[in-house]
Amino acid sequence: MQRRDFFKTLGTAAVVGATLPVMGMAAEEKKKGPNEFSYNQAVSAITGGKTAEKSDKVHLKVPEIAENGAVVPVTVEVDSPMTAHDYVEEIHILDTKNSNSRCVDAFFTPANGKAFLSTRIKLGGTQDVVALVKLNNGTYLIATQNVKVTIGGCG
Amino acid sequence: MEERTSLIKIKPKNYSDGEIVKVDFMVMHPMETGMRKDKKTGEIVPAQYINNVKFNYNGKLISSMKVWESVSVNPVFTIAMKVAGQGKLTVTFTDSTGESSENSIMIQPKG
Amino acid sequence: MKTLVKIALSAALIASLSNAGEQFAMSDADRAMYAEMLESNPADMNIAHGGELLEKNCGGSAGLAKFLHVSQKDLPNYIAGFPRYLKDFNMVVGIDQVLQAAMHENGKKPFTLQSKDMFEMSAYVKSLANDVPINIDINANQQMKDAYALGEKTFNTNRGKRGLSCLSCHSTDVIGSVLRTQPLPALGANGNASVGTWPAYRMTKSSMSTLQHRMQGCMQNALLEVIPLGSPEMVGMEVYLGHQAKGAKMAIPGLKR
Ligand code: HEC
Repeated sequence: MQRRDFFKTLGTAAVVGATLPVMGMAAEEKKKGPNEFSYNQAVSAITGGKTAEKSDKVHLKVPEIAENGAVVPVTVEVDSPMTAHDYVEEIHILDTKNSNSRCVDAFFTPANGKAFLSTRIKLGGTQDVVALVKLNNGTYLIATQNVKVTIGGCG
Repeated sequence: MEERTSLIKIKPKNYSDGEIVKVDFMVMHPMETGMRKDKKTGEIVPAQYINNVKFNYNGKLISSMKVWESVSVNPVFTIAMKVAGQGKLTVTFTDSTGESSENSIMIQPKG
Repeated sequence: MKTLVKIALSAALIASLSNAGEQFAMSDADRAMYAEMLESNPADMNIAHGGELLEKNCGGSAGLAKFLHVSQKDLPNYIAGFPRYLKDFNMVVGIDQVLQAAMHENGKKPFTLQSKDMFEMSAYVKSLANDVPINIDINANQQMKDAYALGEKTFNTNRGKRGLSCLSCHSTDVIGSVLRTQPLPALGANGNASVGTWPAYRMTKSSMSTLQHRMQGCMQNALLEVIPLGSPEMVGMEVYLGHQAKGAKMAIPGLKR
């Protein structure tokens, strides 16, 4: 078959076979999820009741306004030498209003060189995002930021 | 069953021994919360989400993560890592249905 | 007449804006954070898979270069000029259509234009031209001139229940306006670089999409009849928008809300 002729058949196939993307922005139903941890439950599950100190060593970066609640970037960096004697053991990313407030519990070693964690989370609505950090000496540090979640537009 | 597509990326691309680099791990995964209704059938889609990720560098566990359903679809996790010579970085992951998989790359410092 | 049309269009747009609720403007810090996400783009996985598909189905970039009668060295520059008029086909075609023909010639069953495999393979091929400026040449021949004209017309023609055109939302008149929190990109405007960022990962869809597929999304949302992928109108619009973006560097995959 000549390329030209072949192309004619492709052209028609494309017309017939084009599928239309389905637009779906339907609100998700409020339903019980697989895990239920309120924010307070989540924090005490992690710290065992110890208090966490607000600290400017914990750098929590989230957008002030999330373009899309389904993909909200979160970055946590903690000032730490990350030596065998002094390092960040855990970074937990939590939110305050999802039916399960726990997002990620990350565990580190001095081999990381830097206490850094970045990921993307789903937020059902405007709420706080929290970074809860455990140092190897057993101390807990915490930082909080509010994220406004706009109604997802579908242009 | 087909392996899940996943990718490990070291940033920057070129790095030297002793340098602290970023490691991206991403995987094509639906991260179903168990709360979403299928638009066509109207049925609740059962929960299925990545629940564990482990980073092994030259056979040594450097980082691990417990992951919950609030993490976004097709998740991306980034951590830091201190380059300590040539070696293999392996990321293993499991999901809440028991599915498990792994991916690895060679760490090759330049100078 | 012209103002009348404009007023009618604004009314239609205001209708879209009516249920917008609070309008938020994004801060520069937020924008920077979203820009940073580009470096860890889930579509990198699609691109990697697309590379494997090209290897398997078209003999990799060497096979593709041969099929297109260009040297491998010139391939990136050549790719940055698509859609092109190709004598072999006697029509203006997109890269995806070229790949269909290349698969056919290699004795493989071509992926359909709307398949995920084709999205991935064509995205990989386009990414070979990353950092190369878009160099679509609408004066190369009559066919390209015609494709450009058809694209421009398609972009500017009011259609559908609400009498909207692409231009209604994507013109410099309304740029800076916000539709349900989304700034409207001035696509038809000279210098708009967004064409070079497609295929892109769409976070609202959790998947990678191509430019033509994204355009179909707008047609659906704005109640315009959906134009098929690979049709002369679609390819024409890609030529039209690509020409406006001429000189902008290819940066694939993009990352969109
Ligand atoms: C009712 C208004 C409206 C109409 C009409 C409309 N669009 Fe859009 N378009 C939007 C909005 C809003 C966005 C951005 C949405 C987002 O960020 O999710 C967009 C985004 C796009 C994009 C992606 C731009 C980028 O790189 O981010 C393309 C391409 C596009 N439109 C093409 C078209 C074409 C082609 C038409 C005509 C067939 C069209 N649009 C008609 C509102 C519209």
